Amino acid sequence: MSLTKKSDQQDVQKVDRVELTPASRVVECENAYTLTVELPGVSEKEIELTLENRVLSITAENTLEVFKDYTLVLHELPEARYRAAFDLPDHVDTAGIKAATKNGLLVLTLPKREEVKPRRIAVKAG
Amino acid sequence: MRAYLNTINNPWRVFDEVMGDFPFDLFDTALRTRARRYPRVNVWESEDGLAVQAEVAGVEPDKLDVAVDANILTIKGEREQADGSRAEFQRSFNLPFELENDKIKATIKNGLLTVKIPRKPIEKRKIAIEKL
Repeated sequence: MSLTKKSDQQDVQKVDRVELTPASRVVECENAYTLTVELPGVSEKEIELTLENRVLSITAENTLEVFKDYTLVLHELPEARYRAAFDLPDHVDTAGIKAATKNGLLVLTLPKREEVKPRRIAVKAG
Repeated sequence: MRAYLNTINNPWRVFDEVMGDFPFDLFDTALRTRARRYPRVNVWESEDGLAVQAEVAGVEPDKLDVAVDANILTIKGEREQADGSRAEFQRSFNLPFELENDKIKATIKNGLLTVKIPRKPIEKRKIAIEKL
């Protein structure tokens, strides 16, 4: 049996992260929705995307540099934990969701199901 | 008064406050507050120079410009806003010392801009004292 002293646990440095909702926007196209989430300073490894009961959840943590031998004189960027959740409408084909990162943006493509996509119906001469 | 107090505690704020307080409050204050605080930054200072990190998510690296003029550091560029429209942004910092404007090192990764600029060495000059 081992007992852990309180002081031992404190050796693990914990960063107090600020919980933030990231800025995001949705654009609807003919075949898909594009969901863009701003995650500055977040590498793709630090992004967790989960889909459960048609709720798409995003959790991400940013990494800020600590400059050695420098003093922080203006502090506006928080060590952040970004959290956001989106209810996906029924006509989104969840199996076809794609995610990519670019310039600190997480870009999700949410394709629509085949049956709700606009389509042309050919008219045949009788 | 707010600007004055900030001057004492934090010389870095001065430029922002001067730009924001007068007479632009006629505009939508919330909008302006957001606009003048973009990009948000961390500024670090040492005897060697200055290090800045700025959040510029969604800004194309070639649409970003970092410039130093004596003791004023300016970050400007063009970004896509939440509604999809493009907008120019600019933020300047009035520094308590001069920087080497030809030795700016800027990198961008995951929408986070990192800038390092060395201080301009202060020219020391001995002044001869003449005997009268």
